[in-house]
Amino acid sequence: MSAPTGNTYSNTETLVDTQKNKRAVTALQTFGRSLGLGLYSLFALFPLFWMVLISFKSDREMFNTLFIFTPTLENYEAVLLRTDYFMAFFQNLIVSGGAVLVTVVAGVPVAYALARYNFKHKEGVAFQILSFRFAPEIMVVVPIFLIFQNIGLLDTYLGLIWVYQLITMPLVIWVVRGYFEDISVEVEQAAQLDGYRWFEVFIKILIPLIKPGLVAACLLAFIFAWNSFTFPLVLTGFQVQTITVTSMRYIASDTVRFGQVAVAALVAITPQLIACLFIQKHLVRGLSFGAVKG
Amino acid sequence: MASIALENITKAFGKINALDDVSLEVKDNEFFVLFGPAGAGKTTLLKTIAGVEFPQKGLVKIDGEIVNHKEPMHRNISMVFESYALYPHMTVYDNIASPMRSKLYKKDEAHIRRQVERVTKMMQIDHLWERRPSQLSNGQRQRVAIGRCLVREPNAFLMDEPLAHLDAKLRHHMRGELKEMQSSFDTTTIYVTHDYMEAMSLADRIAVLNLGKIEQLGTPMEMYYTPNNEFVARLFGEPEINIFDGELTERSGELAVRAFGQAALLPVAPDAAKVLRGGEHRKVRVGIRGNDISFSFDEVPGWLRGSVYVNEPIGNKVILVADVGGVRLSLVVPNDTRAKIDQPVFLSLNMQHAIFFCAEKGTYIVRSNAAQHVSDAPGTKEEG
Repeated sequence: MSAPTGNTYSNTETLVDTQKNKRAVTALQTFGRSLGLGLYSLFALFPLFWMVLISFKSDREMFNTLFIFTPTLENYEAVLLRTDYFMAFFQNLIVSGGAVLVTVVAGVPVAYALARYNFKHKEGVAFQILSFRFAPEIMVVVPIFLIFQNIGLLDTYLGLIWVYQLITMPLVIWVVRGYFEDISVEVEQAAQLDGYRWFEVFIKILIPLIKPGLVAACLLAFIFAWNSFTFPLVLTGFQVQTITVTSMRYIASDTVRFGQVAVAALVAITPQLIACLFIQKHLVRGLSFGAVKG
Repeated sequence: MASIALENITKAFGKINALDDVSLEVKDNEFFVLFGPAGAGKTTLLKTIAGVEFPQKGLVKIDGEIVNHKEPMHRNISMVFESYALYPHMTVYDNIASPMRSKLYKKDEAHIRRQVERVTKMMQIDHLWERRPSQLSNGQRQRVAIGRCLVREPNAFLMDEPLAHLDAKLRHHMRGELKEMQSSFDTTTIYVTHDYMEAMSLADRIAVLNLGKIEQLGTPMEMYYTPNNEFVARLFGEPEINIFDGELTERSGELAVRAFGQAALLPVAPDAAKVLRGGEHRKVRVGIRGNDISFSFDEVPGWLRGSVYVNEPIGNKVILVADVGGVRLSLVVPNDTRAKIDQPVFLSLNMQHAIFFCAEKGTYIVRSNAAQHVSDAPGTKEEG
């Protein structure tokens, strides 16, 4: 009896030992991971933090202080109250939101068709749509300017929303198409046999299944449209102003008002920040391109 | 419940003919099995009936009415898909309830609950109501799919390999349930399978499909005892039927078969001999099932001589494969048989049960006493 006991004992000891080692290794790994992530977030978030800081600095303290200065709200006052910056903000919201809305209404059916039906030059059409993203905006903006001038779309919401389809449509179509392709045709067929009309199948079965991808793609499309600079710079003027173009106003010819630029930029990124935080879950799942099947 | 008829259905995917001029009629309340190897067109045929695939030629009729232009939803057909086709974002309960919630087949929630309870009990998945398809095993998913099909009272049930992914024990249980269901609620069912035991035990009638064409249509007994051709003969029965070349010769006024290049002749039953003599056949192909062969390890005069090729015990029986003159014959032998490889073995074929096929075309010519075999009572159905 004694020998086996001794044996067992020593066995347990080694077991405990390896467990201890394991725990130490795990702790080290956790620490390393946290350190890495911490460093990265510092790298990523510091510019944002710096922007917040300089938005509170007066022009006098802009270049000769780092973290210690007398905070002032004069930049905010100058940008938000004395100019029509809020106007530009809302107009930007209208064009970007409108562009995404049009893209969803028109793009999701296109994506469905590209995923489900076989027709001539299908891949060609799909690639053509994607290629709109390749072309530099500056290349097409001048002809578009001339065309818009002739048909009276210059400096209108409609014109800008239309042109923004170049930015938003390819993204949504390509992401959502992948999602549609992942859904088995037989799921749709089963729903039809269950007594649902095609439209009901689309709303009840397909939309919930593509939702993560659709939300993520729409969000990205919205951000791209929101940040667009070249198109609104050339195609708009007095009636419609976007925030990207307007914020350039604070870079005057004689001096750059960094404090005001910072305020303008902070206001500009607010919707994106909020949107990202709210739909983070969808964003992560959606951008894994259907790898995680719900 | 309704009868279903297909007339000259032809359907091609690109250049591949999935269905080639298929006509068949499924009677009201019949359990009809489509049987065939992978890629035979079984699933396409089912989907054509359901209305989710469209034939390029031919008519689909439900209860005599042409439904080619009817939407799937209006055909009132319930189907189990081979890929289950469950709705991934819904729970098991909602999946099964889905057909009863559509505008067309609307039922009140109390009724839905009772029905879902009934089918989930039957499928033994009543503890899984709240799960989503992604949280189920394949067998459970398949049972949910069957449940969603059975919860309705449609014109017909279409089942595409509904038991393929279940484990053996459950498959056996479900086979019984389906059979029971079939006899207690009068249901027209079209059932696709590639398992011949399922086909034989469930079917009122079977259609054997191969490469988009119907090879044979008939009762399970007809399939087993009088197959139209070698292809059908090979599909039914385990081990696979032995088919070998033979030459007809006369021996003192009686017809016999010479085969395997051996001196021992195989006698032909008188009624079969009559047909064979009339057809001017000299060469034939002879099919014989593994349980119609007797064997002995000691030499018996007049028996075929061969050697043991392999000996496979499979639980309730042993399959012995013997090499006779270069042809391999599988036979079913008692469980306690022990044989060494290459050991000599002597075989006697029960030629009363032989099936004769045309040597060129592989089509059925005759078997002895065919009518009696085919009309055997269903209770005597024996597998393999």
